[in-house]
Amino acid sequence: MTLTADTGTDTDEGAVAERVRKIKESQDVGVSRAEGWRRRGPLLPALIFMIAVTQVPFLFTLYYSTLSWNLVRPGSRQFVGLNNYIAVIQDSQFWSVAGNTVILIVGVVLISALLGLGIALLLDRAFLGRGAVRTLLITPFLITPVAGALVWKTTILDPNNGILNWVLSLVGIGPVDWIGQFPLSMVMVELIWQWTPFMMLLILAGLTSMPRDQLEAGRVDGATAFQLFRELTLPHLRRFIELGVVLGAVYLVNTFDAIFMMTQGGPGVASANLPFYIYQRAFLGFDMGQAAAMGVVVVIFTMIIASFALRLIFKSFSGKEEAA
Amino acid sequence: MTTTTERVSETTDTAPVRKKKSTKFSPWGVVAWLVGLGFFFPVFWMVLTSFKAESDAATNPPKLFFVPTLDQYAAVFGQGIGPAMLNSVFATAMSTILVLLLGVPAAFALSLRPVRKTSDALFFFMSTKMLPVVAAILPLYVIVSNLGLLDNIWALVVLYTSMNLPIAVWMMRSFFLEVPGELLEAASLDGASLWRSVREVILPLVSPGIAATALICVIFAWNEFFLAVNLTAVNAQTMPVYLVGFIAGEGQYWAVLSAAATMAALPVILCGWFAQNKLVRGLSFGAIK
Amino acid sequence: MASITYKNASCIYAGSDKLAVDNLNLDIQDGEFVVLVGPSGSGKSTALRMLAGLEDIDEGAIEIGGKDMTGVPSKDRDIAMVFQNYALYPNKTVAENMGFALKLRGVSADERRKKVESAAKILDLTEFLDRKPAKLSGGQRQRVAMGRAIVREPQVFCMDEPLSNLDAKLRVQTRTQIAALQRRLGTTTVYVTHDQVEAMTMGDRVAVLKGGKLQQFASPNELYDRPANAFVAGFIGSPAMNLFTAAVAGDGVKVGDSVFELERDQVSLLAGAGLTEVTVGIRPEQLEVTDTGGVEVVVDLVEDLGSEAFIYTHAGSGSNGIELVARANPRTAPRLADTVRLRKHPEGAIHLFHPESGERLN
Repeated sequence: MTLTADTGTDTDEGAVAERVRKIKESQDVGVSRAEGWRRRGPLLPALIFMIAVTQVPFLFTLYYSTLSWNLVRPGSRQFVGLNNYIAVIQDSQFWSVAGNTVILIVGVVLISALLGLGIALLLDRAFLGRGAVRTLLITPFLITPVAGALVWKTTILDPNNGILNWVLSLVGIGPVDWIGQFPLSMVMVELIWQWTPFMMLLILAGLTSMPRDQLEAGRVDGATAFQLFRELTLPHLRRFIELGVVLGAVYLVNTFDAIFMMTQGGPGVASANLPFYIYQRAFLGFDMGQAAAMGVVVVIFTMIIASFALRLIFKSFSGKEEAA
Repeated sequence: MTTTTERVSETTDTAPVRKKKSTKFSPWGVVAWLVGLGFFFPVFWMVLTSFKAESDAATNPPKLFFVPTLDQYAAVFGQGIGPAMLNSVFATAMSTILVLLLGVPAAFALSLRPVRKTSDALFFFMSTKMLPVVAAILPLYVIVSNLGLLDNIWALVVLYTSMNLPIAVWMMRSFFLEVPGELLEAASLDGASLWRSVREVILPLVSPGIAATALICVIFAWNEFFLAVNLTAVNAQTMPVYLVGFIAGEGQYWAVLSAAATMAALPVILCGWFAQNKLVRGLSFGAIK
Repeated sequence: MASITYKNASCIYAGSDKLAVDNLNLDIQDGEFVVLVGPSGSGKSTALRMLAGLEDIDEGAIEIGGKDMTGVPSKDRDIAMVFQNYALYPNKTVAENMGFALKLRGVSADERRKKVESAAKILDLTEFLDRKPAKLSGGQRQRVAMGRAIVREPQVFCMDEPLSNLDAKLRVQTRTQIAALQRRLGTTTVYVTHDQVEAMTMGDRVAVLKGGKLQQFASPNELYDRPANAFVAGFIGSPAMNLFTAAVAGDGVKVGDSVFELERDQVSLLAGAGLTEVTVGIRPEQLEVTDTGGVEVVVDLVEDLGSEAFIYTHAGSGSNGIELVARANPRTAPRLADTVRLRKHPEGAIHLFHPESGERLN
C-alpha cells in the first residue's frame, strides 16, 4: 500500500480563498492606469486611423440612404426616410442581383476549395521540380485581376478566335459564345482560376503541418490511404479549409474587376453582383440615395455572415497558429 | 571540462542536419506538372500574344509560332504608360509603408502585452475588413471630392492603407506570437529595456514575417481597381485603370492589349515569384516555413 | 553579499484561484548551492521565477543581499538565468549571445571579447564562438546558455531544469560540471529540478516543495536520514523508501502474517501517542534477506542491476497486502515466487509518520 503525504492540506480552505481574494484585489489596482495605456498605446494610431477611414464613411452611407438624392439634379436632395429601402426591396432586379452574388460566392469558394485541396494533395509529395510547379501555380493569384479577366475574355473565351473554342472544335463541338450565353458562369470560372492558388497554399500549409507520426500509427493499425485521409488528415485540415473559405468569401463579396471587364454585368443584370449593381446605380445612374440604401442592405447581409466567420476564425486560430 | 568527455557525447549529441531535396520520378508528379502548366497557361498566352503582330494575334486556329515583334510594346509606351506606372508605384509603396508604420506597433500591442481589451480590438480590425467597400464608396466619393482630392494619388494611398491594415495586423500578430516568451525573459534578465529587446531580439526574428506581410500588401494595393477607377481620372490613374482606358481606346486589338496587360501585371508577378517563400509564409500565416 | 531570503512569499497562478507558491520561507546563504525539488506543479519553477522577477510576488517579499526586491524589475536584479529550453538568441552567434548582457551595460568590445573567450574556454566552446544556435547540438546549446550566465558574473545564478532536455549520459556528465563550476565561482545558486538524484548530488541544501508549500529545507544527508514527513521520505532516495500504514501489534506492526519489530522507544512512543495505526518507512537498502526473524514475503519481481539487485515483494494479500522492496546481492538474490524473510539491517533506521498528517513522529 503506497502512501502519499497529506501534510499541509488546508483544513481551513476558507483562509486560503480569503488570501487569494485579497491578492487579486490588489492586483487589479496594481496594473496601473499608466501601464495599461502604455500597453495599449502602440495600438491607438492604427485603431484611430481605421475608425476614421472606414466607420465614418459608413455612417454617411446610412445618412445618404435616407435621402432622395440624384447627383444629376442638384438641389433635389431631401429626406425621405425609409423610402429608398422600400424601393430597393421592391426592386426585382436587386433580388436577382443578390441571388447572383450568393451563387457567385458560394460557387467560387466551394469549387476553388475543392480544387485547392486536390492540388495541395498533389503537391504534398516530393517530385522533381515541385518548387517550379508551385511557382507556376501561384501566378493566377498574383496577376492583376483586370488583366487576367481581359485575357480570359479575349484570347480564351472569344467565340471566333478564342483558344477554348479552338480546342473544342478539334473534338467536333461547335463554336460557343461563352460569355454571351453563360455570363455568370464564365465570371465564376475566371474567379475560380484566380482563387484556387490561394486555397491551395492554405491547405498545403495544413498538410505540411500534419504530424507524421499520427499517419504512421494509422498505417501500422492497418488503415488504407483513403481511411487515413478521411479520419486523420481531413479533420486536421478543417481549420485551414475554413480559414480559406472565410477569407475567400470576404474578398469575393467585393468582387468587381472581373465583372467589369468581362461582361459589364450583362446581359441586363444577368451577371451583375451587388457591388457592380450599386456601382451602376451610383456612378452611371447617379442615384445616390438608392445606391446608399443598397449598400446598407449589403452590409447587414455581410455582417450576418461575418459574425459566423469571425467566431470561426477566433475559435480555430485564436492566438497561436498551429505549431508543427 | 576535459576533452575526453566530448568524445562520449559526440555520438549521441549531434547538430541538426538539413534533409536533401528529393529527385525521384513519380506519376503524380507528372499530373502536378500538367496542372501547374494548365493554370499558368493563360498568363503564358498573354505574354506570348504581346509579342505578336496584330495579324497573328486574333486568329483561328491560334498561332503558337510566329515572328515576334516589339511593336506592341512600343505602341504601349508611346501611349504614355509612364505616369500610370509611377502612380501605381507611389500608391503601392506609400500605402505599404504606412501599413507597416501603423500595423507593426498595433500587432505588437495585440500580441506581446495583451490587455483585457485585446481580443475586442482584434475583432474590430477584422470586422472592418468584412465591410464591403462598395457600401462606403459613395460617401468616400463625396468626401474625397469635397476635400479636393479627387484624382489625387494621396486619396488612394490613404484608402489602400485602410484596405490592407486589418490583414497586415492579423498576419504580423501571428508572427509576433511565434517569438518564444522565454527569449524576452532572457533579454530582460540580461538587462535590456523593452525597447532594446524589441530592437535586438524580436525584430530580427519577425522580419521575414514583416517582409511577407509587406509583399501581400504590395500585391493587393497594386492590383486594386474599384477604388482607383472611381476616384481617379487622368492624373492619378494607376496601372489597372490605365489598362481599362487602353481598351476603351484601342478596341479589339489583342496583341497591343496583351502588351498593356503584361506591363500592368508583370511587376507584381515578378515580385511574387522572387519572394515566393515569403509570400507562401505570409499567406499561410507562418505555417509553412 | 548575495544571500537570498524568501519571506512568506506567495504567488497565484495567472487566471486561477490557486496559489502556485504558498507562504515560502527560505534562508539561503551567500555562495550556497540550493536545489528546489518537487513533482510537477509543486511551484518550484514559480518560486525561482519570482526570484528572477519573471513572476510577481503577490504576498510577502524576497530579499537579495538584504535588499527587498518587490517592484524591482528583472533587469536590475543582477541575476543570470539558465532556462530549460536555453532561450538562446537565434539570430546572434554564440559569442554575441554570451556578450549581450555586457554589451547592454556598455562594456567595451575588447573587454567583452576577453570575458567571452575566458568563459568559452571553461566550457569548451571556443571553436563554436562564431556559430549560430541552430547549428549546435543540444549539449552545446546548454553550455552556451551556461556561458551566457557565467560571463555576467552576477550575484545569483538561477537554473530552471537546465539538464532535462539532455540525454541520460550527457545529463550525468553535465551535472558534475555544473557543480564543479559553481564551487569554483562561489556564486549563490538556486537550481530547480524534478530529479531527486540531481538534488541530492548537487545541492548544499535542498528544499522539497509540494503543492506550493515547503516540505523540508535541509542538507541532502538530513533529508535522507531524517525526512520531516512521509512525502519527503517517499520522494528522496531511489528506489523510493518503503512506506506503509500498518496496525500496531505487540512489539511492532502487523505486516501480512508476521510482526515487523520496532525499537523499544518507538513502541513506547506509539503507545504514548495513543496510535493504533502508524505509517512506517524503511529504505530498501536497509532491508535484507534473512533466514530467521523478520517478516515473510513473496517475491514478485527481481531487478538485477549488476552491482546490486532489488527484489519487489509483497506480504499479506488483498486489502491487507503490503509491498516491500529490498536490496539484495545479485549473486545470491532470491527468485521469482520464492518465499523469503526480510528484516531490518542492524544499522538501518525505521521512520515513523502519523498515519493521517504524515508528519514525522520519531
